Amino acid sequence: MTKRTSKHSDGFSKKDDSSKGEPAPKSREKEFDPDGSMKISRGLSNKEALLQQKQLLAKSQEKNEDAIQRQLWGVAKETAQERRETLRKDDENPNLAKLNEKQKLALQNRGRKRVATALVRHETKRLQAAVAAVDAAEILQTEQAGLLEAENEMERTSGLSQVALKRQLQHVDPHAASNIYDLSLSQSAPYGLEYDRSGRYSILYGKSVGHLAMMDCQSKSLVTEFTVHERVRDACFLQNFTLFAAAQKNHVFIYDHTGAEVHRLSDHNDPMALQFLPYHWLLATIGRAGWLKYQDTSTGQLVSQHRTRLGACSVLRQNPANAVLHAGHSNGTVTLWSPASSQFLAKILCHKGAAIHSLAVDRTGRTMVTGGADKQVRVWDLRMYKELHSYFTVGGIPTSLDISQRGILGIGHGCHATFWGREALREKVKDPYMHHLMGGKRPVETLRFRPFEDVCGIGQADGISNIVIPGSGEPSVDTAEYNTNPMQDAKQRQEEEVRALLDKLRPEMIALDPDQVGGIEESDPHKRLERLHDLQEAANAKAVPQKKQKTKKRGRSKIQTQLRRKHRNILDQNTIKLRELREKEKLENANDREGNVAHKPKESAPAALRRFF
Amino acid sequence: MKIQTLKRTTLDRECPSDLRRASRNLDPTYHPLQRAREYTRAVTSAKLERMFAHPLIGNLGNGHRDSVTCSSLSRRSLLPLVSGSADGTVAIWDLTSRTQVAEIPAHTRVVTGVVFAVNGETFYSCSDDGFIHQWTLHANSEQQKHNSIATWRIPGSFKSIDHHWMDISFATASDSAVQLWTPERSTPVQTYSELWGSDDTVTTVRFHPVEHHLLAGCSADRGIGLFDTRSGVALQKTILRMRSNDLQWNPMEPMNFVVANEDYNAYTFDMRKLDQPTRIYKGHTSAVMSAAWSPTGREFATGSYDRTIRIFSLQEGAARDIYHTKRMQRVMTVQYTLDHKFIISGSDESNLRLWKARASEKLGQLTTREEAAQQYRSSLVKKYQHLPEIKRIHKARKLPKVIKKQTAQTMIMKESADRKQANRVKYDRKGEHSFVGERKKVVVKKVD
Repeated sequence: MTKRTSKHSDGFSKKDDSSKGEPAPKSREKEFDPDGSMKISRGLSNKEALLQQKQLLAKSQEKNEDAIQRQLWGVAKETAQERRETLRKDDENPNLAKLNEKQKLALQNRGRKRVATALVRHETKRLQAAVAAVDAAEILQTEQAGLLEAENEMERTSGLSQVALKRQLQHVDPHAASNIYDLSLSQSAPYGLEYDRSGRYSILYGKSVGHLAMMDCQSKSLVTEFTVHERVRDACFLQNFTLFAAAQKNHVFIYDHTGAEVHRLSDHNDPMALQFLPYHWLLATIGRAGWLKYQDTSTGQLVSQHRTRLGACSVLRQNPANAVLHAGHSNGTVTLWSPASSQFLAKILCHKGAAIHSLAVDRTGRTMVTGGADKQVRVWDLRMYKELHSYFTVGGIPTSLDISQRGILGIGHGCHATFWGREALREKVKDPYMHHLMGGKRPVETLRFRPFEDVCGIGQADGISNIVIPGSGEPSVDTAEYNTNPMQDAKQRQEEEVRALLDKLRPEMIALDPDQVGGIEESDPHKRLERLHDLQEAANAKAVPQKKQKTKKRGRSKIQTQLRRKHRNILDQNTIKLRELREKEKLENANDREGNVAHKPKESAPAALRRFF
Repeated sequence: MKIQTLKRTTLDRECPSDLRRASRNLDPTYHPLQRAREYTRAVTSAKLERMFAHPLIGNLGNGHRDSVTCSSLSRRSLLPLVSGSADGTVAIWDLTSRTQVAEIPAHTRVVTGVVFAVNGETFYSCSDDGFIHQWTLHANSEQQKHNSIATWRIPGSFKSIDHHWMDISFATASDSAVQLWTPERSTPVQTYSELWGSDDTVTTVRFHPVEHHLLAGCSADRGIGLFDTRSGVALQKTILRMRSNDLQWNPMEPMNFVVANEDYNAYTFDMRKLDQPTRIYKGHTSAVMSAAWSPTGREFATGSYDRTIRIFSLQEGAARDIYHTKRMQRVMTVQYTLDHKFIISGSDESNLRLWKARASEKLGQLTTREEAAQQYRSSLVKKYQHLPEIKRIHKARKLPKVIKKQTAQTMIMKESADRKQANRVKYDRKGEHSFVGERKKVVVKKVD
């Protein structure tokens, strides 16, 4: 209340002063801290705000600039920046031709200076918040991530076996050492496994007979176990460990943590892969017929079904940053899907002539990794849809891929599991981070990193191996993020379930750019329409099959032409020489035209040496 | 080889009575789809706000027996309210219990004004019958309750009464003149007639809350004017397009005042610059009868002949909220309580109603978490208020059909008038017509 009254009295005095023609009181300037500290920049003059912005930027460069940038722009930094820039560009050059008089006037009178000033303040505030968040993160994150480092050049981290690791850890960290174990389950081999979002629970599913078991990974105890007596191809947790879905022979079934069957989703025929989108409460399945179906698990409605037209599909993963689904197909393409569009959002040919066997998208949503039947693991930049580099897997096709929270890439191929370090996604790395060999002929079925722990679970032909990969799990848990707290108790779980439901996102909000939702189009509407129109035209132009040009020649039956045609594709010494000469001549002519004399061989030089000039 | 693994204790709490451990990770990649989630929360907040919007608290007692014409709140205390009715009775109300404390058959004709004295103990009522009565709020006996402390009379009728903000004098507007009274004297201390060169009836007088000798008034010749009681000299007068029904000084910025006008609008004026209003507040579909400032001076409520109460924030020309009920008829008087939480309205069908000033506000003490949640929700709505979905929810008000129709009609009329004017400017001979700003049109004439 006191604050409010003071504000009003301030406003009053200011108005009074202006009426008398006296300068406004400069009491505000005293509040400004020249160090650019974390004070909110409200009430600063434009100049001061600019100065503060500069200081903050300088300060951020000294500090952890990457983290600050991430705080500023979120996950999709480049897209956000690009969008802003296009909008501003549109705003700078408005298309006046289509505006009427009134609109023109409004555009002219728009307080450009005021907008600019407001923007400066806004940016400064954002920068302050980002720096403050990074500072806070330094204080808040007390736990340290795991690491594995070679101490000299001769050592290689990949040489460290799990047996040796267990031996070393037993004395230092018995809890971590206890995470290295094998479960030999032969009744329903091969086995797959999935973790829930908190990493506390896992489901093990035996594919052949349908043995389903849920484990509490913390206490290493069994929560529930039952057999469905039919093939289980995939399983995944729903919002938390109390419910999970299994893709069985004909339908998808939902079970609860006691093992009771809760639902049978008969719309999902012959399912082969499952994914649950936690923020949208959508269960997505894809199956033998290649239909991608989204089912809302909170309302039970089938939200949408898309025909991929690419045949049976068993590779389906979500992009955690924008909830777009990536489906890998047998023709080597990966298609990106959202429930809102019946056509894929993007289609990438990842492996030419080789089926896609595994796929993973990292947490930031920038990198996708695909494993194909050509034994290649390719790393893709999802911002440009371009391949960055690839790794060759020796010992088998990459059947399972996963990227850990801190960016370690795990590849299951044959009876090997190879782990590549954090930098391996950004650049081609020579040596893997770690390597694990399953004894005998036990091909890897599923490889999954356990969230918030340095653990990797591998489902294979005769059970489960649990191994420790130091540095794979995120050390700091956010207890406010839904269902990611491994320490969550029943009460918290119930509360979070309600909160998550209240914040449930609508299916149509899924798009490639996650920040589009709730944003405003601030650019010139006519420019925007034009841009959309251009995009549309460009897209349509591709779709329309171009008329084949007539290659038929008149008089092709002449003997002379027939002979000439026959000889056209024969390359002998003479033709090659002639072609080279022609090319050279062309180049020279072009140089002459540009007035580029430098490349011209000097007349005085001997003929044999001319080519060096 | 250097090996280090993540260590996590399995025990979160040592005993169940401990608080649960909370940790934060501010890395945005652990909070995906943040924008969409925030937007969804904003939509939910906007919906919740509308869901909880039940502004009417209730009627005060059984109301009067005839139309409520005027009311007054004490300037000192939160509780007492007095109101006057068309049948000549004056009632005292207790706001906490919403009951009638006393009903006094004060006058023989319409009570045109009631006002509290500075001390808050006594109040005055004036009427068309030419009487002013002074009453006490805390009467000991029944007889005392029905007998006035003092009485003044003039030939003719009184139109309005207002009390000085500091001393014991009060001013009235009668059909002949503006008079200044003190309780000690039976005749007016001062009588001001023909203030602005004409003896048009002054219908409303209001003392300035800071400049104590300044009086503002509305007159029957469509004018609003200022004059000084010390010199008896008229300062300024402005003639508007139509008559003004009420005038109220802004309690926090007392150089400004609001005028409730017959032309369906309310206007705020700066008293230093009466040649045009500082802002026009539109929306009513009939004459605005009364206005009342919130004690913060940031918003005001208006009651109108269109059977609605609208709350305008100072910065916006359109109403922040519109209150109406099926039974409420033409609103003759509105009051804003001193804690800026409630609005009181008195209407033609003889009832006084108590409203919440913010429709979806929860009354009573809030817990810290409740308060934080509410603040978060309102700031979310504020952040996304310009997006179409939230705007639609946030601005939606269910209005009576008549008002909806009339509003639409007004819009059409305005558009057509604008178009006509634009055509005139475009096609008539040069210099004959030009665009005139909305605010310029309000003032017809300025008299000094």
